[in-house]
Amino acid sequence: MEEPRIGVYICECGVNISATVDVPGVVEMASDLPGVVIARLHKYACSEDGQVTIQNDIRELGLNRVVVASCTPRMHEPTFRRAVADAGLNPYLFEMANIREHVSWVVRDTEAGTDKAKRLVRSAVARVAFHSPLEARQEPVTQAALVVGGGIAGIQAALGIADSGYQVYLVEREPSIGGHMAQLDKTFPTLDCSI
Amino acid sequence: MMDVGRHPNITLLTYSEVEEVSGYVGSFSVRIRKRARSVDEDLCTGCGLCQEKCPRRVVDTAFEEGMGKRKAIYRSFSQAVPNIPVIDRENCLYYLRGRCKLCEKYCPTGAIRFDQEDTILDLDVGAIVVATGFQMWDPTQLEEYGYGTSPNIITGMEFERLSNSSGPTEGEILTAEGEVPESVAIIHCVGSRDERAHEYCSRFCCMVALKQAHLVHDKTGAEVYDFYIDMRTFGKAYEEFYGRMRREGIHFIQGRPAQVAEDPVTKKLHIEVEDVLLGKWMEIPVDMVVLANAVEPQHDSGRIAALFGLGRTPDGWFAEAPPKLRPVETSTAGVLLAGSCQAPRDVPDTVAHAGAAALEVVRLFNQGVVTVSPTVAVVDASQCVGCGECIPVCPYTAIARGPEEKAQINAALCMGCGTCVAACPSGAITALQFTDEEIVAQIDGLLAPVV
Repeated sequence: MEEPRIGVYICECGVNISATVDVPGVVEMASDLPGVVIARLHKYACSEDGQVTIQNDIRELGLNRVVVASCTPRMHEPTFRRAVADAGLNPYLFEMANIREHVSWVVRDTEAGTDKAKRLVRSAVARVAFHSPLEARQEPVTQAALVVGGGIAGIQAALGIADSGYQVYLVEREPSIGGHMAQLDKTFPTLDCSI
Repeated sequence: MMDVGRHPNITLLTYSEVEEVSGYVGSFSVRIRKRARSVDEDLCTGCGLCQEKCPRRVVDTAFEEGMGKRKAIYRSFSQAVPNIPVIDRENCLYYLRGRCKLCEKYCPTGAIRFDQEDTILDLDVGAIVVATGFQMWDPTQLEEYGYGTSPNIITGMEFERLSNSSGPTEGEILTAEGEVPESVAIIHCVGSRDERAHEYCSRFCCMVALKQAHLVHDKTGAEVYDFYIDMRTFGKAYEEFYGRMRREGIHFIQGRPAQVAEDPVTKKLHIEVEDVLLGKWMEIPVDMVVLANAVEPQHDSGRIAALFGLGRTPDGWFAEAPPKLRPVETSTAGVLLAGSCQAPRDVPDTVAHAGAAALEVVRLFNQGVVTVSPTVAVVDASQCVGCGECIPVCPYTAIARGPEEKAQINAALCMGCGTCVAACPSGAITALQFTDEEIVAQIDGLLAPVV
C-alpha cells in the first residue's frame, strides 16, 4: 500500500459546529495524526472556496486521502466525493466524520463535544488510510414505468411519463381509473366539473 | 382519464393489484394479479346492455358511498375508463345460485365469461410511482357528531354523491325523507386536528366545506351554518373564495360543535356549540349535517409500504426522502411518490407533485443508466468452502452458487449491508470499504484516550 498522505478539513459550519466544539483544538490534534500532511479549519467546507482549498492541497501537497469533518454524509458526501474526483483523486479515498449531527447539535458541553469530535476525526483518519480506490458501476435502466394507483396523481404521472415517449403500466385495483376525483361534484375554487 | 385510456404508451391494468416487487432502481421485476372481470375485454364494446338487463340491484358502498345502487354487473360510473363492466361475483345470481345468465343472453358480442380466472402478469420496469392515495376517516369513532344515528348526518363524500348529477338524486340535494332542506350545517375538522383521531390538518377540507356550503346555498336556498376552528384557505384564489362565501350569506361560526343530536319528535338535528368569537353558547337546529371528515392513509398502507420498501411517518403516510428538497423520492431508489399517499393534498398540489414524480422517472430513463455504489461484498473463491451459509442470510437475494458450488455475489443486487461477511465461517467474504482492518482502525481511533 502506498504511504498515506492525508488532508483533514474541519468545518465550523458557521457557528453550528464551532459553538460547542473547539474546532482549532481538533485541527491541532489532527495535524499530529499519523499520515496527516495537512489539517485545516474552514468556516464552510462545502462552499466553493472550501472545495477549492481541498483540491489545491491534493494537487500541491500530493494528498492521496481526504477526510472532511462536518455535517452528515447524507448531506455533502456526494459534494466532496465529486470535488476530490475533480482534482484527480479516486472518490472512494475519502472519508467523512459527522461532527455536527453526531456532536455539536446533540451536546451542550464544549469539553465533552470536543473530546467526541477528536475521536471521530481520529477514527476517520485511521480508517481512510486503509481505503482502496473503487470504481462506481453503471447499470442499464429498463425504460418502462409502473404507476400504482389510478387517481389524479397516478393519471398525471402516467401521462407525464407516457408523453415523454416511455412505456407505462398503470395499475388500479378498482374496475375504473378516476379515484376519489370521479366521485366529486364540482371542484374548488373554479367550480368546474371533476371528470 | 380518457387520455390515459387512449394513450399508445399506457397499458391500463384495472381491477388489478401488485403482488410482488423485486430488484432495484433501473431493473425491477413486478408481479401483478389481474382479477377476473368475468368479461372478455377484447370483445366487450361497452354498450351497457348487460347492466340494463341484470335483475340484481345492490347498494353501492364504493363509488356511491352507500347512497345509491348498482347492478351485479356494472361500471362504476358512465365515464368509466375502461368502459368495460365487471361482475361482482359476491352478488351475482349466477355465482350465488347457479342460474340467471341474463347478461350472457343479451350480450351482443358474447363477451361474458363466467369461468374467467385471475391472470398473473410479470413485468420488467425501471421505475415505480406509488400513487395509492388516501381514504376517508370513519366518523362513527367520535360519537358526539352523531354519524350513524340519523340518515341526515352525512360525510363530505356522501354529500358529493348527493350533489353530483350522476348520483342517486341526479344532483338534487335532498334529505333522507326526500325533502329540500331549509337549513344545513357543515362541520370542519371532524377527526382532523383532534388528538383523539388525527392530530394533523387534513389540508383540503376547509375548501371542500366552503364549496359544499356554496352548492347547498346555490341549489336549495337553505340557511347554511359553517362551523370551523380556523379557516385554512391558503391556496391561490382560495381566500377570495372564502370572501365570496361570506358575501353569499353563509353563516360562519368559529367553534367546534360539542354535540349533534336528533330531536326524537321533530327529527331536527340540534348542533350545540360555543361561538368562541362571541363567547356565547348556541343551539342551532338544522335539517342536514355534513361532516368534513379527515383523510387518512389507506387501510393497507402498511402492506403497500412493505411491498415497495417505503418508510412511513408516525401518522402512517408514506415518507419522502429528506423532506423539502426531495419531495417525491423515497428511501428506495427508483420508487417515487405522487399525491396523497404521502400527505393530504388537494387537486392542484396533487397534479404538481405527480408532475415532479414523472420528471424523476423521465430523468432516470433519459440517462439510460444508473450509477451504483461499488461498496459491495466480494467473495475470495480460494477461501470459500461452498457451505452456503451466506445464501439464506442475504436480504437482497444477491448470492447464489457459482462454479464448484462456491458463493457468487451479484454486484447489481448487493447493497453492501455486510450480513454475509458476518455469516461466512471461513472469512471468505469482504465488504469493500468495510474490511476488517478498516473497521478495527476505526474502532481503535474512537476508543484510544484523547490527549
